[in-house]
Amino acid sequence: MSQTQLLASPSTGMPAGMRILGGALVAVIVIAPWFSGSFVQHLAILACLNVIAVAGLSLISRSGQLSFGHAAFVAIGAFVSVLAERHLGLGLWLSGLLGILAAALIAGLLGGVILRLKGVYFVLVTFAFGELTRLALLDWSSVTGGANGLTKITPISLFGLTLDTRPKFYALALVVVLLLIAALRAAFKRPLGHAIDSVAENPALAESTGLSVFRIQLLSFVLGCALAALSGFMQAHYIGYISPESFNTSVTIGFIIMLVIGGRASVWGPFIGALVLTPLPELFRGAVQTQYVLYGAALILIMRFLPGGLASLRHRFAASKETRQ
Amino acid sequence: MNWSILLAQATVNGLIIGLLYLLMAVGFTLVFGVMRTVNFAHGEFYMLGTFGAYFLTTQAHLPFLAAVAVTFLAAVAAGAILEMGILKPFRRDELNGMIVTIGLGIVLQNLALMFFGPDPLSIPAIAKGAFRLGKIVIPNSRIYVVVFALIVLALLYAFLRHSRPGRALRAVVEDFEIASIQGIRARIYYPLGFGIGVGLAAVAGALMAPLFSVSAFSGATPLLKAFIVVVLGGLGSIPGAVVAALSLGVVESYASLMIGGSAADMLIFIIVITMLVFRPRGLLGKGEA
Repeated sequence: MSQTQLLASPSTGMPAGMRILGGALVAVIVIAPWFSGSFVQHLAILACLNVIAVAGLSLISRSGQLSFGHAAFVAIGAFVSVLAERHLGLGLWLSGLLGILAAALIAGLLGGVILRLKGVYFVLVTFAFGELTRLALLDWSSVTGGANGLTKITPISLFGLTLDTRPKFYALALVVVLLLIAALRAAFKRPLGHAIDSVAENPALAESTGLSVFRIQLLSFVLGCALAALSGFMQAHYIGYISPESFNTSVTIGFIIMLVIGGRASVWGPFIGALVLTPLPELFRGAVQTQYVLYGAALILIMRFLPGGLASLRHRFAASKETRQ
Repeated sequence: MNWSILLAQATVNGLIIGLLYLLMAVGFTLVFGVMRTVNFAHGEFYMLGTFGAYFLTTQAHLPFLAAVAVTFLAAVAAGAILEMGILKPFRRDELNGMIVTIGLGIVLQNLALMFFGPDPLSIPAIAKGAFRLGKIVIPNSRIYVVVFALIVLALLYAFLRHSRPGRALRAVVEDFEIASIQGIRARIYYPLGFGIGVGLAAVAGALMAPLFSVSAFSGATPLLKAFIVVVLGGLGSIPGAVVAALSLGVVESYASLMIGGSAADMLIFIIVITMLVFRPRGLLGKGEA
């Protein structure tokens, strides 16, 4: 698999025509919501929020760990920012920053202890942390509202402009997503990104070439959880309501499905995964079970036949074209 | 009612629940031992086991014990087929195998929802009345379940300890490569190990069906308990699972008596995290890490 990826890395293997076509397709997809109904705009915003959270998960995954408590950090970002705004009287952006920093700090402290665990042990410990966070938020109802959650969260305002309509909020979410993808693309072309990938590929080799596996995984974990918190902060102010139950393990599993189906080894993976899977529930309205059966089956089939996810299709396409030429 | 009777009653209740956790966890840890994969679909086999017992007793009018036995055999066969058909490429591939079992679990749960509907069903109790030991009261239906669970565990013990395939299976769990060198055909033991593991989950479900409800959503809690037990006992360690399952049952029972359910749940997750961080090999130190 790694060999075909080398052969068909985007800069060398993709013909210019295809890249332009791909770019045009992405442009049409991201612009379309402004010319569609309010419901499509809602889905587009949710997809953007998912891209941000799943991009965080993909950072962690690319360093070789799978977090099963990702939704907990979305919750931390949402709750800390909303509570800081309410009780500490901080402004919107400062409280948002505080939410993200709180998630990063917790991830740093937790990661410092749990990142020595590998594979399934890391999965289990993050799962336990996710459940613990949810239970703690539910139990601490005097502050978090318990199962009722927090309501009447004010919309985001930016330079005096209140983002209280869907087209306006979508503009913000889209800018964040595009900046994020650009930043990740840049990072994974530089030594830092290569270091993250190499730590996942072969930890022993990475360690022996002078990279600290622990520090790189910690960095990925902290950044990944901070992105989850960013998504939580934005979600709280978009929907106007948060509850501990909206961040349970099935939300984390949803993120994992998006990541795997989109593609774990590509910056575009979270984008494609969220884009494909966010609107899916709407196509299956009234047939939720069919939808989930398809999710599960897609997950198994992708793992079996396309481990690089949908994002790797273009490499396959480019590679097969090359061999034909 | 005085404090010591309450405590004794809580201990008995805890041991009974612990025994059922054990049935779940033994299968779970066996699957991990063989496949090196956390089986996220394990709870769904418990769920299918409850439906197996429900349909075999209420529709096919089989006696309860026969229904449990048929459910077990069907689950072993289904598990072995699923292993060969779906999980085969992911043997000993921790993370990818786990993601595949998540997919499998989602498919099984939602197929059950489509076929059996979301409303919980119930099986009539298999025994009436209650057994009194001093002032401790145990419903007879629970005593039956406990006896059956003990029989299942004894059969499993005899199988793993004294039969040829059982010993080979343990050898594969212990060390896959050395077992292969000794001439054990490991490829038979993947489907067998997975089948027996999920078969035990189905038995747990079938035994629990008369006590709790039969529903497509019933797999989540047993899966969670199995997770906790195998982490405390050490992944892949059966003796560890025994100690951990019974302790978990008793501790939960005491904790809900003294500090309330939600605080008890949190406490257990804190113990799990502490355990994973400081002693990932589990209580008895025999699990692999």
